[in-house]
Amino acid sequence: MLEILIVGAVSSAIYAMLAVGFTLIFGVARILNLAHGTFYALGAYGAYFFTSSFKLPLLLAALLAVALVAAFGIAVERVLIRPMRKSQLAMLMITLAVALVVEQALFLTFGSEYRNVPAFVDAKFTIGGVSIGGARLLALGVGVVLIGALWLFIQHTRMGSAILAISQDAEAAQYMGIPSDRIFALVMGISAALAAAAGVLAGPFLTVQPTMWLLPIVKAFAIVVVGGLGSIPGSILAALMLGYAETIVGYLISTSWTEIVSVAATLLMLVVRPAGFFGRRASF
Amino acid sequence: MSAVSAAAPLLEVSKLNKHFGGLYAVKNVSFGVQRGEIVGVLGPNGAGKTTLYNLLTGFIAPDAGATIRFEGRSLLGLAPHRIAGLGISRTFQLCRPFVGMSVAENVIVGALGARRHGITDHEALAAGLLRRVGLAGKDRLPVEVLSYGDQRRLEIARALAAGPALLLLDEPFAGLGSGEIEDLSTLIRQVHAEEGLTVVLIEHKLREFMRLVGRVIALDFGEVIAEGTPEAIVQHPAVIEAYIGRGNVDPLEAGRAA
Amino acid sequence: MFRKPVDLVGAAAFLAFMAALPLVFRSNYLIGVLTVSVIYGIWAVTWDFMSGLTGRENFGHSLFIGVGAYTAGFMNTTFGMPGWWSLPAAMVMAVLFALLIGLPTLRLKGPYFALAMLSGAVIMQRLMLIFWEHTGGEEGINGLTPLIRNQLGFYYFALATLAAITALLLALARSHWGLILRAIRGDEATCQAAGINVTFYKIASLTISAAFAGAGGAMYAHYQLQVSPQLFAVVTSITIITMVYVGGMASIYGPVGGAILLVLLTELLRNFGEWRLMVYSCVLIAILFFVPGGLVAPTWRRIKAARGWGP
Repeated sequence: MLEILIVGAVSSAIYAMLAVGFTLIFGVARILNLAHGTFYALGAYGAYFFTSSFKLPLLLAALLAVALVAAFGIAVERVLIRPMRKSQLAMLMITLAVALVVEQALFLTFGSEYRNVPAFVDAKFTIGGVSIGGARLLALGVGVVLIGALWLFIQHTRMGSAILAISQDAEAAQYMGIPSDRIFALVMGISAALAAAAGVLAGPFLTVQPTMWLLPIVKAFAIVVVGGLGSIPGSILAALMLGYAETIVGYLISTSWTEIVSVAATLLMLVVRPAGFFGRRASF
Repeated sequence: MSAVSAAAPLLEVSKLNKHFGGLYAVKNVSFGVQRGEIVGVLGPNGAGKTTLYNLLTGFIAPDAGATIRFEGRSLLGLAPHRIAGLGISRTFQLCRPFVGMSVAENVIVGALGARRHGITDHEALAAGLLRRVGLAGKDRLPVEVLSYGDQRRLEIARALAAGPALLLLDEPFAGLGSGEIEDLSTLIRQVHAEEGLTVVLIEHKLREFMRLVGRVIALDFGEVIAEGTPEAIVQHPAVIEAYIGRGNVDPLEAGRAA
Repeated sequence: MFRKPVDLVGAAAFLAFMAALPLVFRSNYLIGVLTVSVIYGIWAVTWDFMSGLTGRENFGHSLFIGVGAYTAGFMNTTFGMPGWWSLPAAMVMAVLFALLIGLPTLRLKGPYFALAMLSGAVIMQRLMLIFWEHTGGEEGINGLTPLIRNQLGFYYFALATLAAITALLLALARSHWGLILRAIRGDEATCQAAGINVTFYKIASLTISAAFAGAGGAMYAHYQLQVSPQLFAVVTSITIITMVYVGGMASIYGPVGGAILLVLLTELLRNFGEWRLMVYSCVLIAILFFVPGGLVAPTWRRIKAARGWGP
C-alpha cells in the first residue's frame, strides 16, 4: 500500500513535468506540440551521451542536456512551427514530422537497443518497510521543486503575468504591448526544459530507446485533456490521477494494461467533458 | 404597417428562463408573435437578446417550466436543424458565410435542409433569391470578396432559401453604414410584404428599427420590461431608464450615434 | 460528376497508363510497388473525402485500416473463411468502429477530434499487443491466403477498386452531399440553422470513409499475406495525410497521385537503407513548407487552364 503511494507519486511527478510543459505551450501559443515527447527523449539521451562519450560528471551532463534541449525547442518553434501557425493541421503535421526526424536521428546515432542513463543516486532507500530506488525519489523531489518554482514564477513575476495574460486573451495581450513572440520562445524553452529534466531524471529507471517519445506524448495529451488544456493546476491534478491510476492498475491487474489507462481516460474525458476539469469549451 | 390577425399566435413563448451559474440570462420571458407581424426585440448589450434567439432555435436548452410553441407545436427538446426544418430561419449577429464556397453555393446550402425536399433546380432558386436581395450577377464570386453589406444580404438570401414561415434576424444592421441600412431595411420590408413572412428583428439601431417594426418587445437584464408600439416604447420610463442607467443618452440618441 | 469531358479523358488516360505500365515493364517488383501505391491511394482518397472536405482532420485513419486488416486476418485464418468474405466483413467492422469512435468524438473541435482519433488508433495497437495470445502480438497474424493468385490479376483488381471508390467519392463530393460537407467546414452552427442535420453528415461521411479504408486494409492483408499491429501505427496515418497534402486537399482525385508519388519516393529511398525514414520525414517537412497546396490537383488544374480546356 505504501509502495503504491510512493511509486504512484514518482510516476505522477514525471507525468506532471511532461504535462505542465505541454499544457503551457498550448495555453499560451495554441500549439499542440506533438514533438514534446522528443524533448523528454533528448533529455535522457543527452545525459547518456555526455556522460558516456564526453565523460562529463553527471550533474554537468544533465544541465547541459536540459539547456541544449531548451534551445532546440526554441529553435523548432521559431523556424518550423511559427510559419505554420495559420493551420492547426499543418502545426500538428510539422510537430509530428519533427518527432519522426528526432526519432530517426536517435536511432541512427545510438541504435535501437536500450541505453543506460546513469542515476544521480544509486542507493536504495527503505521507507516504512518499502524499498525504493534513490533515483525515483530524486525524480519525485526535483519534480516537485521544479513545478513549484514554475508556479511561483508565473504567479509572482512580470514575465509570469505576461504569460497568464496571453493565455487568457492573446489579442488583448498584444494590444497591451506584450511581446507575444518572445513569450512564445520563453514558454517553449521552459516547456522543453521541463520535459528534458523529466527525461534525465526518469532515464535511469524507465526505458530509453528511440521511440520513447510517443507514449509520453499520448500520456501528456491524456493528462492535459483530463485537466483541461491550458490549465497548470488541472495538469498537476490530472497527472496525480493518472500516475496513481496507472500504478494501481499495474499492481492489481498487470503492467501491460497501464498504457491503456491513459488513452482510455482521454477518450472517456473527451466524451463526457471535453474541456476537462478546468479547461475551456472544447466541443460545439 | 403589419397585419395582425386575431388567430392563434404563430410563435408563443411563456415562462422562458435560462440561468448560467447563478446569473439569469433570460428571466420569465413571455410573449407572442402573430402571423404576418414584424416585431422588434430591443435592449442594451447583455440584455439577453441573442440568448433568447438561441433558446428559441434550439441551440441552448431553456430551464424547466418553459413553453415555446410554433404553429401550435412545442419546440422544446428539438435539435436546431429540426426547428429550422419546421419553418424558422435565423441569422447570426456576426456574419458567418461558408468560406471557400461561391455566393450561389452559400445560398443553395440554405435550401438543402429537410424542409426543401421538393426542390429540383437549386441553382435557379439561388439565382432568384440573389436577384431579390440585390446580389444579382454575383453568383459565381467567392464569398470572401463580398463587402460586409453584401454578406448581410447573402445571409438573408440563405435564410429565405429554406422557405421559412418565421424569420429571426439578429442585428442585421450591425456594421453597416446608413445608406446600406436603408437598403437592407427596404429589402426586409419587401420580403415581409411579398412573402407574408413573419419577421422578428433584434437591433440596437433604433432609427431604422422604429420605422420597420410594428411592435417592440423591450428587454433588460433578460426580462421583458415593456411591450408596445415603437412610439410608446421610446417614451416608456423603464426603457429610458435601462438606457440611461447604462450611462447612455436616451435611446433615440443612442440609435443616431451608433 | 466530372466537371468537364476533359476530366473524364484525363481519368481514362491515367487508368490506361496505370494498367499498361506492368505490361510494358515486365517486372514483378514494379507490379508490387504499383499494387501498394494503389492501396495507399484508396486510403488517401477515403481520408480526403471525410477530412479534406469537412476540415475535421482525422489523425487515426490507421484505426480503420488496421480493423479491416485484422478482420481479414481472423476471418481467413481463425475462421477459415475464403478470402473474398474478408472484404464485406472488413467493411462492416470498420463501420462499427467508425460509429463507436465517431459518435462521441465528432462534436469535438479540431485538434481534439484529431487527437481523439489518434488515441483510438493507439489503443487498438496496444490491445493487439496485450491480447497477444489471440492476435499474435508483435508477429501478428500470418498465413493469409491471397485473393487472386496471379500478381498482375490482383493488381488489376486493386486498380479497378481504386477507380470505383474514387469515382463514387468524387460523385458524392461534387453532389449536394459534398456541398454540405464543405459548408460544415465553413460554419456548423449556420448549417444547423439552415435545417441540415450536421451530426448525421459528419458520422455518415466518417463511416463511408472508414468502410472503404477498411476494405483497403483487407485487400492489403490478403496481399502481404500477413497482418501486424504496425498497421495501426501513427506513421501510417501521417503517411496518408502527407499523400493527401501532395495530392491536393479536398480534390478527391489528387490523393491518388499523391499516393503513387510517395510510394515511389519510399522505394527510391530504399537505397538510403537505415536513413530512409529520416529522409522521408525531412521530405515531409519540406512539403509542408513549400507545397502546402499540393502538387497533383493544382498541376492538373493549371494544365487545363493553360491549354484552355476549361476550369
